[in-house]
Amino acid sequence: MAKKNVEDKKRLIPHKALFRAAMIWETWVQTCYNYERMMGMACGHTFLPVVKYLYPDNKEKQIDVMTREMEFFNVHPEFGSCILGLAISLEEDKAMGADIPNEFITNIKTSLMGPLAGIGDTIWQGVLIPILLALCIDITRSGNGNVWGAVIYAVAMLLITYIFSVSNFMFGYRSGGDAIMDFLEKGTLSKLLNGASIMGCMVMGGLIVNYVKVKCGIVISSSGSDFNLQKSLFDAILPNILPLGATLGIYGLMQKKWTSIKIILLIVVVGIIGGYLNILVA
Amino acid sequence: MLIITAVLLGIVYWLGEANLPFVGLWTLQRPLVCGLITGMILGHPVTGAVVGGTINLVYLGFISAGGSMPTDMALAGVLGTAYAITGHLDAETALAIAVPIGILGTIVWYLRMTIDSVFVHMGDRWVAEGKFNRLYLSNVILPQIFSAIICIIPCALAAKFGAEYIQSFITLMAGKPLQIFQVIGGLMPALGIAITLQYIFKGEARIFLFLGFMIATVSGMTLIEQGIIGLIAAVVYTQVTGKIGTPAAALAGGGSAAIAGNPNYDPDEE
Repeated sequence: MAKKNVEDKKRLIPHKALFRAAMIWETWVQTCYNYERMMGMACGHTFLPVVKYLYPDNKEKQIDVMTREMEFFNVHPEFGSCILGLAISLEEDKAMGADIPNEFITNIKTSLMGPLAGIGDTIWQGVLIPILLALCIDITRSGNGNVWGAVIYAVAMLLITYIFSVSNFMFGYRSGGDAIMDFLEKGTLSKLLNGASIMGCMVMGGLIVNYVKVKCGIVISSSGSDFNLQKSLFDAILPNILPLGATLGIYGLMQKKWTSIKIILLIVVVGIIGGYLNILVA
Repeated sequence: MLIITAVLLGIVYWLGEANLPFVGLWTLQRPLVCGLITGMILGHPVTGAVVGGTINLVYLGFISAGGSMPTDMALAGVLGTAYAITGHLDAETALAIAVPIGILGTIVWYLRMTIDSVFVHMGDRWVAEGKFNRLYLSNVILPQIFSAIICIIPCALAAKFGAEYIQSFITLMAGKPLQIFQVIGGLMPALGIAITLQYIFKGEARIFLFLGFMIATVSGMTLIEQGIIGLIAAVVYTQVTGKIGTPAAALAGGGSAAIAGNPNYDPDEE
């Protein structure tokens, strides 16, 4: 695909319609999320503002485009929005006479959605949201409590979501499939992810200390004096060793493919037994 | 609790759960945010934000990928916060009550993911007839009416009747059982952190978890201050390893890079 001359070529779709398409994608992407097509209909919906510019006088061709775009599609909404931009630019090239088979457009969409979903879910839900949430929960719980952490989180997340999604959509439209693959394969991304992991690990380390609360309640009485295991042993050597141990233990179980439901059950059982026997105290 | 209050809480849950624009998905779905709104409805915004934030600790890194939903954090956030405010619970106890509610709530999600297919077929028909504008009906309005019904009714009922019983339930539980609730509530955030660690506790970043842990144990710094130090550490580290100019820097992402480059990534895998 010769995408270099894109700027020189006369395009069919006005910028305003393109922007509307990007907004429709981000806004209605999961309003009808379902097992049969996942985001397929949202993909068709995204084409609503642009399809009339592709084939102004040919309703049959418009129906062709829309039907093609309603097929199964599933991706991370924000990271995957570049695929929608790319699909629109390919349909536009096709409408302007380029020889692009229908299967090519479908194939490039399905081949990009896997990797972008993988990266997107990891960075978005595994790195960005946890770090932002951890910081904002800490703000909310500082002092006697306040509402600002929740407000800051909501506003920041909305801005990040829309700005990132729309610019990524435009990137896909302008730069084409090769540029997306380039971005996926370059080291920049893994460097970024590594940096974010370092910051995330620092924050999580602090979070363990501040919010995982588990103490040992064992008191050994011998010859009249009480030996408090928590105070005399753990707090003296390394306070917070129990929260760290609990967290790393659960991490280990998850690495062994334990599901979160199973771990919740385990915590409940440990809590009941440990709490009842006073081995653990809050 | 007034019926209108309960219905309002149901609406908050629906907006959080239904992936609607501007609210759902990444914002209102999080207990930190829906807890604040729940608190505002019940007249205690600060308590709402604090309890919601505490409940949210369990769901820090929960990932919904490929249409799976491990747990319904919006329901846990709304009902957990509502019970905490009406029953005067502390945050840890509210958390222990909220987590099982979240597991129950996944029924709503799976019901919705299944039934929404019906609207896709309507959309197919309208597109084939060339009535493209009706996609607003099939993609947004109809499925959202359905979502509203299955979200608002159960949540409002649970808020109204649950709130009436929570007080007597807590009185009944006074003493030992309540202590057990607090132990469970104190342990649960470890799960939220452990899930997040699945994504970031990798390669050379690992040691920084222990650095963060030590800094917090020794210094009593706030998390924001620690986050800023983390950011600086990340930049310095990337600069230093980048200068050497070996491919090792690119490989430092470890497992994450493997995900990035793996075209066989299956979003259905949890």
